[in-house]
Amino acid sequence: MPNYSVEDVLGNPANTRQLYGYCGRIARINLTTGEISELDTYQYVPKYVGGRMLIHRIFWDEVRPGTGAFDEGNKFIYMSGPTTGTGIPAGGRSAACAIGASVNPEQFTFGNIGGWFATELKYAGYDGFIIEGKAAEPSIIKIDDDKIEILPAGQMWGMRVHQTQRALEEQFGHDFKSMVIGPAGENLVRIASITSANDCCLAKGGFGAVWGSKNLKAVTVHGTGVVVPADLKKIEYLRVNMNNPSMSPSPILHLDKIGVPGGEFDVKYDRGNVACSPGCNQRCNALLMNGVSAFEDHPVNHVEKCVSVSTFSWIADIPSTVGMFWPSEKNYCAPCKLLGRDFPAPDPSDPYFEDQGKVLLPDVYNLWKPDYEKGTIINDLCNEYGIDKWEIDVWLQTWLAMCSKEGLFEGMDLGTGMEVDVENVEFMKTFITNLVHRTGYYGNLFAEGMSRAIREMGYEKYSDTIYHGRFSTELGGQRTDVPVSLEGGWGQSVHWQGRGYEGSVEKPTWLAANIIRMQSTRDANTVEHFHSKIDYHQEAMADPYHSPKLIDSIINVQNNAEIKDSVMSCEWQSPDPWWPTMEAEMYAAATGYPMTAEELYDAAYRSKLLMRAILIRNHGRNRRMEIEQVWRVMSIPDSWNEVADWQQWNEMVDLVYDARGFDRETGWPYRETYEKYGLKDVADEMEQLGLLPQHPETPWHEYGEPPYVPFVENRKREAEAK
Amino acid sequence: MNIKSTDPKSAGKTPGYGNHIVQYSPEYSFCTGCVSCTIMCGLTHEGFTGRGNSRIQVDLDARSLVHHVLACQQCEDHPCYEACPKKDETMCIDPDTGIVYINEENCIGCGKCQKNCRFTPSRISMKKHKDRKKWKAVKCDLCRGNPKGPQCIKWCPVRCLGLSEDSILLPEGVRPNT
Repeated sequence: MPNYSVEDVLGNPANTRQLYGYCGRIARINLTTGEISELDTYQYVPKYVGGRMLIHRIFWDEVRPGTGAFDEGNKFIYMSGPTTGTGIPAGGRSAACAIGASVNPEQFTFGNIGGWFATELKYAGYDGFIIEGKAAEPSIIKIDDDKIEILPAGQMWGMRVHQTQRALEEQFGHDFKSMVIGPAGENLVRIASITSANDCCLAKGGFGAVWGSKNLKAVTVHGTGVVVPADLKKIEYLRVNMNNPSMSPSPILHLDKIGVPGGEFDVKYDRGNVACSPGCNQRCNALLMNGVSAFEDHPVNHVEKCVSVSTFSWIADIPSTVGMFWPSEKNYCAPCKLLGRDFPAPDPSDPYFEDQGKVLLPDVYNLWKPDYEKGTIINDLCNEYGIDKWEIDVWLQTWLAMCSKEGLFEGMDLGTGMEVDVENVEFMKTFITNLVHRTGYYGNLFAEGMSRAIREMGYEKYSDTIYHGRFSTELGGQRTDVPVSLEGGWGQSVHWQGRGYEGSVEKPTWLAANIIRMQSTRDANTVEHFHSKIDYHQEAMADPYHSPKLIDSIINVQNNAEIKDSVMSCEWQSPDPWWPTMEAEMYAAATGYPMTAEELYDAAYRSKLLMRAILIRNHGRNRRMEIEQVWRVMSIPDSWNEVADWQQWNEMVDLVYDARGFDRETGWPYRETYEKYGLKDVADEMEQLGLLPQHPETPWHEYGEPPYVPFVENRKREAEAK
Repeated sequence: MNIKSTDPKSAGKTPGYGNHIVQYSPEYSFCTGCVSCTIMCGLTHEGFTGRGNSRIQVDLDARSLVHHVLACQQCEDHPCYEACPKKDETMCIDPDTGIVYINEENCIGCGKCQKNCRFTPSRISMKKHKDRKKWKAVKCDLCRGNPKGPQCIKWCPVRCLGLSEDSILLPEGVRPNT
């Protein structure tokens, strides 16, 4: 039964701390047996806060080593946060985890997603759910208050994303809110996403394929209950203060240019702004209106975020400013306001005005010419098939373009019957459609994701051949080497890592991005964007490998990402560097529990440790393994033609491990690290498994040789040939 | 936060309807689908959020993302009031403003007001009472009695909502006051 009143929430016998904000129940849905049961949320909170922290705990407790992405033993764990449905801005988002299908190698991974689904789930009385097992036939899960049913998917199986959403509304009612997969997920395409309303996607990790492997097409929910936050006055305060909402009209814009600054081109189109999260006070996402559909005869609207713009044109990469990563207090602007075109005028009285406003010029690649219609069709294919746009826009298309220009596809059509041509929309439609339906050799191959497909085709040639068309604007047009494949680690594309897409960033910034990616299992930069402060910039630039302030900033970014995915906020709203107690205030407003910012920060350490323990226990994570994932990227020249230094990079990793309480040699947390954050039981299990390190008598410094990177050898060979 | 017209003379009146919540033309401001209006309505009236507890609804379109805000239009012939078996005890009319409002404690949950609303979907919601056995009708009363005025208007982050009589009717759609 959902909650219908304050009395229902506080009268729950399990709610001994009298917490507001939560529903108190987590549904367990076993698709193999059809059994539905419930867990008590209050056994986990406030210690595990909600969202990602809570799913880390459940995953640690329930998913054993050896479980693969498509195994019945894999569990999809989904959780809202205490702020979800309360009117606290950005609280409508939610978190999920599973063994990821797109991650290479398969590992635990996580994501977050907006839309109206999480709020509706709480109205039905659940904070989240655990989906386990595998249905005997294609199925959907219908949650109507506390009535949970596993129903045949019927004709929905095979439908595209929006067809499925429409069919669910027609069958069950307009008030049902859904998360669905498209054909890609059904066909176990490893880059398949899960889509909620507003084209919000769980795209990283390949969770769409995990659902497909469970014969799960959709979860649809309707609730008649309520969400009860603790403090209305505080919610009102947060709504008018979180990232300074302009509270001003947001009209449809009739625009005649699109693209990033410096790379804009002429095209007439209409744009509105939409919010991804119920109750949010911002309007960050773009709604590109009346675009060409890849499937329908009539125009359609698309929600597009930052990555989509690259598919319209890739002459040059995207520029950045120093202040995007190293903001000053006077000129700080949250990403949501930047993307929503809702930012204030720059303040020139800022003593850091010039430093933080410095533009870092993008590299020129000349990969494909501007074509709004083609880009719209490709984005629509991703939206409708349910696949990760990052993989298509940033990795597949650039790879096709660079390999073509280097002559690596001579005599090949990649199963399309056409010359490989990234500028030909028919080629792209055919290639992506083959991939989604696993048609032919190449369709089946690329359904495994770029990372696996390239290795199958021949890694040295199809990953690390040098592309000779990259030119550094920062170096006055000097040609610099880049490999044809923009892989960034853990089988996902590059992202703010100093080269490739969003590549023109300074060394401290890309070192930080790679440290963060290294410790994750996915493209960490869509959930853990690196931010520091301009006052730290000078120290970090002077000695980026050994800057305590940079290390501190990295830990801050990682911990704040845990917090915003758990209290439940948004990567583009949180953190606010000059309001460090914001998330604690959000938590208190939702729950009434006076958790301090320090306690919340400790909870983030705890959550990060739990994920670390999962990676070590379930996937054999160690130092060497994670360094190998990002070393290749850092062996590629940045926009100033510099690569990472092996010795100094390892010294930086030492400092990060020291700061986290990890052993330098293994990268494993010590017992006292686990115990400091209330994870004695985890330490005990790790000890039993022989996964607790002993303190060495002297610090470990045997870094060995750098991992073999074919791209580096290719550069040497070309240099010698000259 | 000013939600009143700066120029009362510019106010427009819709024939047959009293002053009511309107959604502005997307050329003035486009609804983002954040549903802050429904959430803040529920919070200020009830202290919690939930579909049935809001006096205002948003008809969300998951495909086009063009959404429609739905609220009582304060019909001057008020069929909801006429249908109420306990009119003037439960469904009442404010003598000063003509707004139809509900005395919740007297509502027996018969749903006749909801059924007799001339709009589809009905602008009257039924919420489940906290004892879980009874249903109660709720409808927009323009936050009658709240000196800060309608909370949906106050909390809309993009100012796409306003009061009909404080707004200017233009050929291309309803525009707000400036």
